[in-house]
Amino acid sequence: MGTSPYLPPPPPPPPPLRLPPTDPTRQTGKLPRDPTSSPASPREGIADAAMASTSSKHAKHRRIGEDDDEEEAEEELGRFDDFTIASSWERFISEIEAICRQWLADGPKILMQKGAETVPSYENLYIVKRELKHGKRVYCMEYNFRKSAKGKYSYWDDDIHSTELSFGVDEFLIISPLSASGVILDDPESTKLLSSVAIALSNCGSNWPAFVPVHDPSRKAYIGIQNMGTVFTRRFEADRIGSQVPIRLMHLEGLHELFLSKFVLSSTDFPAKVKVNFSMKLTYRTPEHDYDLEETLDSEATEPIPESEVASQPRKQWDDDCPWSEWYSAEDPVKGFELTTIWGGKTFEESFEMAEVENASSFDADSWLLQPVVSPYMVDDSIGKFVGFASQLHLLVNAFESSAEAQFLEDFVADNSGQDNSKSSVAVPPPTVIDRVMKDLFNDEVGNSNYVEAENKYGRALKGAPSDSLFAQFCLHALWFGNCNIRAIAVLWIDFVREIRWCWEESERLPRMKTTSSIDLSACVIHQKLQMLAICIERKKSLNREKDTGDVHKERSSNSMAPNKIRKGSAGVVPSMMLINTFQEMHAPYTQDAPLMTEDMHEERLQAAEAFGNAVGLSGQLERDILSSDMSAFKAANPDSAFEDFIRWHSPGDWVGEDKSDGSPAWPPKGKLSQRMSEHGNMWRKIWNDAPALPVCEQKSLLDSIREGEKVVHYLETLRPQQLLEQMVCTAFKSSADILNRTTYGGFKLMKTKMDQLYATMASTLKSLQGKSGTSDLAGDLKRLCQVFEHIEKLLIFAASVHRKLADAPRLAQSIFTDYFNYYLPKMGTSLESICYEKEFTTKEKVGMLEREAVSSLFRPPTANQSWRKVLSMGNLLNGHEPIQREIVFSVLEKLSNGHYSSQTPLCTDEQIETHRMYISGTSNDLWVALSVTSWD
Amino acid sequence: MDSSTASSSHPQLQPDFDYLFKLLLIGDSGVGKSSLLLRFTADSFEDLSPTIGVDFKVKMVNIAGKKLKLAVWDTAGQERFRTLTSSYYRGAQGIIMVYDVTRRDTFTNLSDIWAKEIDLYSTNQDCIKMLVGNKVDKESERAVTKKEGIDFAREYGCLFLECSAKTKVNVEQCFEELVLKILDTPSLLADASSGAKKNIFKQKAPEADAAASGCC
Repeated sequence: MGTSPYLPPPPPPPPPLRLPPTDPTRQTGKLPRDPTSSPASPREGIADAAMASTSSKHAKHRRIGEDDDEEEAEEELGRFDDFTIASSWERFISEIEAICRQWLADGPKILMQKGAETVPSYENLYIVKRELKHGKRVYCMEYNFRKSAKGKYSYWDDDIHSTELSFGVDEFLIISPLSASGVILDDPESTKLLSSVAIALSNCGSNWPAFVPVHDPSRKAYIGIQNMGTVFTRRFEADRIGSQVPIRLMHLEGLHELFLSKFVLSSTDFPAKVKVNFSMKLTYRTPEHDYDLEETLDSEATEPIPESEVASQPRKQWDDDCPWSEWYSAEDPVKGFELTTIWGGKTFEESFEMAEVENASSFDADSWLLQPVVSPYMVDDSIGKFVGFASQLHLLVNAFESSAEAQFLEDFVADNSGQDNSKSSVAVPPPTVIDRVMKDLFNDEVGNSNYVEAENKYGRALKGAPSDSLFAQFCLHALWFGNCNIRAIAVLWIDFVREIRWCWEESERLPRMKTTSSIDLSACVIHQKLQMLAICIERKKSLNREKDTGDVHKERSSNSMAPNKIRKGSAGVVPSMMLINTFQEMHAPYTQDAPLMTEDMHEERLQAAEAFGNAVGLSGQLERDILSSDMSAFKAANPDSAFEDFIRWHSPGDWVGEDKSDGSPAWPPKGKLSQRMSEHGNMWRKIWNDAPALPVCEQKSLLDSIREGEKVVHYLETLRPQQLLEQMVCTAFKSSADILNRTTYGGFKLMKTKMDQLYATMASTLKSLQGKSGTSDLAGDLKRLCQVFEHIEKLLIFAASVHRKLADAPRLAQSIFTDYFNYYLPKMGTSLESICYEKEFTTKEKVGMLEREAVSSLFRPPTANQSWRKVLSMGNLLNGHEPIQREIVFSVLEKLSNGHYSSQTPLCTDEQIETHRMYISGTSNDLWVALSVTSWD
Repeated sequence: MDSSTASSSHPQLQPDFDYLFKLLLIGDSGVGKSSLLLRFTADSFEDLSPTIGVDFKVKMVNIAGKKLKLAVWDTAGQERFRTLTSSYYRGAQGIIMVYDVTRRDTFTNLSDIWAKEIDLYSTNQDCIKMLVGNKVDKESERAVTKKEGIDFAREYGCLFLECSAKTKVNVEQCFEELVLKILDTPSLLADASSGAKKNIFKQKAPEADAAASGCC
């Protein structure tokens, strides 16, 4: 600058933090001609020894060239012989003043209505911005304010802005060159800028502190000023040492001395010993978790593992014992934790006392706060980023879409046989992989798992197969078989059916099918068919056994002289029931099981009944057969029984008894058939009369197992691709969800609710699959379902990870999960678009006293080769780990009434204010210091 | 309610109705399911022999301006037939649980057995359930109070009515109430539309979306 006619050369910088000769507050209403004289240029103000090196280093950044540009501009303006208006600089000040007046007049409420933006990641902090021009430079002035006044002032609130924390202020102005112009301010210019703001603010009687950046941004150097009533002024400055911090300043003792040195410099009137308030925040980060290391560490205690074995062992994963690890390994969403320990409310007079604090145990800190370091993939939805059930289900849905292209599964295999197998859309894994899958599926070792289905009330609404059943396992394997394309699925299915055919022919038990005597109609048809087949195989096996021993049976039955008089097939006496015609106890017969029917058989029966209507003898044939079988068995078990006896046993409602008094077997039983049973031509009596006395073992079976079994295999062999894929989609979604649902995650309530909602969403979306509707319409919905699934799968893995890391502090784990859940929640409303979160997750959770032990165990003591760092330690080690950041606030409070001036300041009469305050943030090789000094002039 | 009975043995080929509803009668043996059906479809009452298997009748009715074809399925109440009855729950939009007000066990069996059967076999999650106490003509022999019926209906979330197939009291109302409720339930109408098998999914899409967004 210097040569402008209006701007005299700047005076030499005043002594650091000494009060400047002029105070803008005294010049109310009059614009000064000399801007640079106003506030001090406090560059060298703090940490003189420490900062000396950096200031010279940054000197080269001063942009001399730009200064010249401005000179020209100033000169150009200077050519106007205009004596009526102020200089460009005065106009600049009045422009600032006008803006500030407007902001002051508006107040927070109206500013917010006018569209003040929130400051990212601060809940309560808003910002308004205006651009200003001075000469060729464009500046941006920002006013940061709070929606509502903050409550109690606390240094270490998460919601506190770094400027607020550094200088101990609330709302504030920052004026800086517009970042786009890339201008860097040097000392004189920033001083001039700050003076402008200070004058403007004092003109409008505002107490806002104002800050101006100096030097290049990486240095985060600021100067600032605040007018506090008529007599007090507060000055601010901040600077940073980016490397080679002097050892003295690594330790609390040296930092305390640094603060004292500022203090002594600024006021000689103070007593030699001052009570300095001290508050400190230490942030620790857990080391990278090395599971291999953990393994060796743990095993060291028991028995040494031979070197070769360690090498051959696959790398241990964090989720090895999670239910999904059978299918894939998830990246750990919790990379580690950041622990913040806070020490506050201490007062020190001597620097050497600080050394004790440095050696104190972290457990003595006033509070502990914990925050997980979450992997960025949690919020990255882009396709292919996350590999889990959701991604594979997505591929399966694609296969489902193309399943309508062919009539038979064989077509998919044949069509592509000539094509290049390397094309990923049709790639099929090599036969060795197929063999392995088949071996796993048909390995009977696991056949009868005792796993109990994790019952979800919506689970039944999902027409899939139980997760551990043969078909569900087939679906799960298919998900991870190659890239789950339709051709790979077809190849796998054809082999799968071939194996089943073999089991049927050889009467081998079907693996993974629970032995049941009923068919679960809520499962998908394929599973019902397999249940039927499993039962048929059992029957076939026992039939074969009977054939072998059949002769013996025949001999025995031929011995009986009068077959009608010999009791056969009794399952035991019916208590208090006597036959009506003979003085004999009633025996309940063994009866045949009702024939089993799969869903499609029920459907057939229903359609038959609909088609034939009431035509006698056609509908209800099966019921008639059963009734007849029951009657035959009853007759065999009770040789002298009458129709009435059967009714009393089989349909007690149709026997109108007369005495029910004591329940003792009275004979003959008194009563009669109900009217409807005794009517002429009653169908029941007709069947009774026709039924021969035959015990179950001699009756024709109601279920023809050979025929039914063959029908099942035929069904599987001729299944349409689309029908297969429909059922695979349902079963794969259900089984994947069931596997996730088995995860131990500490029962976090929100997670549980989400899981339930996943089931409900699946049920409502997959329901449409059972109707025969177009695949194209469905695919969109299914893909959206995959998206929902992915969100919940990720959250669940997160929950599991937090739970296992903080198993000893369940309350804390749940709170952390809840925090993250609330952060993640808004994301889940989105459909197929992927959204990357800009907002970072920063919520810290308070650690209870009793939870500190569990949290400190997250910090494994470093191994020998990690502990070299201790050399550079700044103290306050937690299990041997030094903090990644140390923040300190030193302050001196003084009652203003004791001050040198007894003037009536409206701001604070009897209150204590911080006269000196120093904020220090950094590590052992990066130190940032901010200083605020209040002085009375 | 105008009505005309169509014999089920002559199936209607042309869809001259707006909706086809499938209704199912369940309950213990002898509570009067078949009698209720006979009263409703043929307006007569006679002592019927016990149902073996299943019976069904079709009746065309006009309710709320809609032409409806009601297919009412009547099942056997005997314990032995229960597993076979499960076939008939399929696709039912309305299920009528019948008990005999003069026989307490037929009432308690509804909660002990029949309600569970519905949960197990019903394929329509939204299907409308109705509780009907029959034989109110035998007031002197009453063993289940009306209040008990109401309480059960409230707990189980179903419609409730007491009627008599013998005296005709409330029989028509019973079916009408049930049908009106079904007409109020969009998801049930979607399946029951007489039009050639439309794309069911499209009709339901908004509903499925709502569920999906409700989740997240």
